[in-house]
Amino acid sequence: MKEELAPHVHDITRALGNKVSEQEIERELSSYLNVYRVSLDTAKRSIVKKHGGNPASLAVGVSRTLRELIPGEQSVNLLARIVSVNEKDVTPEGQGTKRILYGILGDPTATIPFTAWEPLNAPLARGDVVRVQNAYTKEYRGQVQVNFGVRTVVSKEAPDALPEYTPGAGVGAAYVGKPTPVRVVDLREGASNIAVTARILSVERREVEVEGTPKTVFSGVLADETGKSQFSAWKDFDLKEDEVLRIEGAYVKSWRGIPQISFDERATITRLKPDVLPPADRLAASPRMWIEDLAERGGGVDVSVRGILIDLREGSGLVYRCPECRRVLRKGACRVHGEVKGEPDLRVKAVLDDGSGALTAVFDRELTEALLDKSLDDCIAAAKEAMSTDVVRDELSDLLVAQPVEARGNVTSDDYGLMMIVESAKMLKVDVQAEAREMLEGLEASE
Amino acid sequence: MMREVAWRLFASEYNDATLEMNGGGERAPSYLVTPLGARVNRVFVVGVITDVENIGTDMQPMWRARVADPTGTFHVYAGQYQPEAAAALSKLKPPLFGAIVGKSRVYTPDSGAVYTSIRPETIKAVDESVRDYWILEACRSLRKRLDAMAEAQKMDPVTKEGLMKIGVKEAIAEGIVQAVGHYGKVDLSRYMAMLAEGLRYLLPEYRETGAGEPEPAVASPEPERKASEPDADEEAVLEIIASLDKDGRGAAWEGILDAASAKGVSKDRLEESINRLLDKGLVYEPILGRMKKI
Repeated sequence: MKEELAPHVHDITRALGNKVSEQEIERELSSYLNVYRVSLDTAKRSIVKKHGGNPASLAVGVSRTLRELIPGEQSVNLLARIVSVNEKDVTPEGQGTKRILYGILGDPTATIPFTAWEPLNAPLARGDVVRVQNAYTKEYRGQVQVNFGVRTVVSKEAPDALPEYTPGAGVGAAYVGKPTPVRVVDLREGASNIAVTARILSVERREVEVEGTPKTVFSGVLADETGKSQFSAWKDFDLKEDEVLRIEGAYVKSWRGIPQISFDERATITRLKPDVLPPADRLAASPRMWIEDLAERGGGVDVSVRGILIDLREGSGLVYRCPECRRVLRKGACRVHGEVKGEPDLRVKAVLDDGSGALTAVFDRELTEALLDKSLDDCIAAAKEAMSTDVVRDELSDLLVAQPVEARGNVTSDDYGLMMIVESAKMLKVDVQAEAREMLEGLEASE
Repeated sequence: MMREVAWRLFASEYNDATLEMNGGGERAPSYLVTPLGARVNRVFVVGVITDVENIGTDMQPMWRARVADPTGTFHVYAGQYQPEAAAALSKLKPPLFGAIVGKSRVYTPDSGAVYTSIRPETIKAVDESVRDYWILEACRSLRKRLDAMAEAQKMDPVTKEGLMKIGVKEAIAEGIVQAVGHYGKVDLSRYMAMLAEGLRYLLPEYRETGAGEPEPAVASPEPERKASEPDADEEAVLEIIASLDKDGRGAAWEGILDAASAKGVSKDRLEESINRLLDKGLVYEPILGRMKKI
């Protein structure tokens, strides 16, 4: 195992500018792979990100599955089958006409459109299995698209290098080996073949369209003692609210960084006695978490954080939104729709810091009105009188900055860090003396 | 890139730090590593802002504030590159409880000495309850590092992996390894005493209350405020200090002593009164040998 990992360890340390020792990277990588059981690529990217590096500078490619791709990736390596391919003449602005290839790539996880912008050294035909190095991805009409550019190398592989893609046969190949038991709090993006014991807190049937095919998904929230997670079941397991299940053979996807459980016909569902887990009302409570732990797992569903609002961010208070896209206007103009007549709104974007980490907490109009004990109309009137919206911001700052609060909501993550969409919040009233006394007694007892 | 966490730590630990670590590479954050292994890039401090002074010129102001906590004093500097913080500082009327978020700064003159300070990002006047909560948080944070450092002192060699194996969080484990490499074996009893001192500061039973008179047993609306009201001696001393503080720099000790004996307050009683006034937070010592009313 160690020798296999060596080039990847080297790749990660290089991507991090040799700031972190190879021993440490090796230990982390093996923890991601063996403890959390995520894919090699997810592990490498996560480690680079965690140390503040840029995952795009990773070079030693592991092939990605098409389902894992997200828009805006600079360098991806793929092993895929050409599902269809066509030629087209295009005339990019300011350039001559050129011939490009476009079509669909498939692997056992998904199909995805591709475009080859440069001539390839070998013709592509339907059914070919190709190894693609250094392609990049973009979003086109809401879908991820793979592009082959100047740096991209495409080479043909034997047709049996990849199983035939059969639409509708589920999202992945069958699992090998026993599923790994995982607690909800330990769910990590990319983990597969896991076993979870949880109570269904809610479930609903939804009709969705996946790559043009209508599908039925049963989604909702499940929980164990350690936390809650959204789930999606791609098969009708006849799930009922409040029942306790053991789900074996599930996988973990992430939505805006929050890990969530998915399972399909490859999963085995065992119904357990209801007293295996605490009752639903206890599991539904919002677990209190440290921000450093949220940062490590990438977010959380309905969690509570206690900390100090140490700063108000730009765009807090009375704001005006674009009527088309709801973006907040800057100097009366929308980034996309230009000068528009803005619709007033109230919100707070604050930095919530609990001493272990920091996140951006977003309070909507209703919460902001409650904090201010003022309506949106009151704020508009106050801003008019002062001839500046700063008065609202200043009042919020007086009220909130340096105050301890407990905030509850969903925490998501992206390249800019963690963000909580606050569902409810309260000023924290702590009996400082009682806590200090308890701590002092503990201290004196241990001496 | 994750935002740097704002550390809550006492001035005494902060000012003990002499190790600065640069993250390496461009734009990488730098850290001040304390003897207990806190890797501080950003701090959150709540204390008594005891004085604010422009040590620059009118054209190029540089505001310096001193912020006292139960263990020592933070030095906060804001100049032309921190216009908002400088403006906020210039308007403050010390003494007051203030909350400061800022970046750690280290100044190392040629003499080899190391001076730590804070470059503020945000400054805000707060009330006593916010300060008390801060002390509690600083105590909790100190406790975590003390426990981890105690474990580390049992290890040879001290490694991040070893610390994480016994449940120390990665961020603290990393700081501890760096601290042990730079400071060697730190005397933990000093920091244990600092922790106890911080906790006792919050507890009324450790505050000396007047001339041994018992706490009022009946729940009055604001019993604590009552307990901190000055007695006759203290009233007299407060008056003296206020009357002698002509230039705003505080009353000199010699003058207070003379005025007190003229009023029939003996040196012993004067010293006791001043200690109680200090404990109650009614006076403070802006510089050694001078007393100032809060």
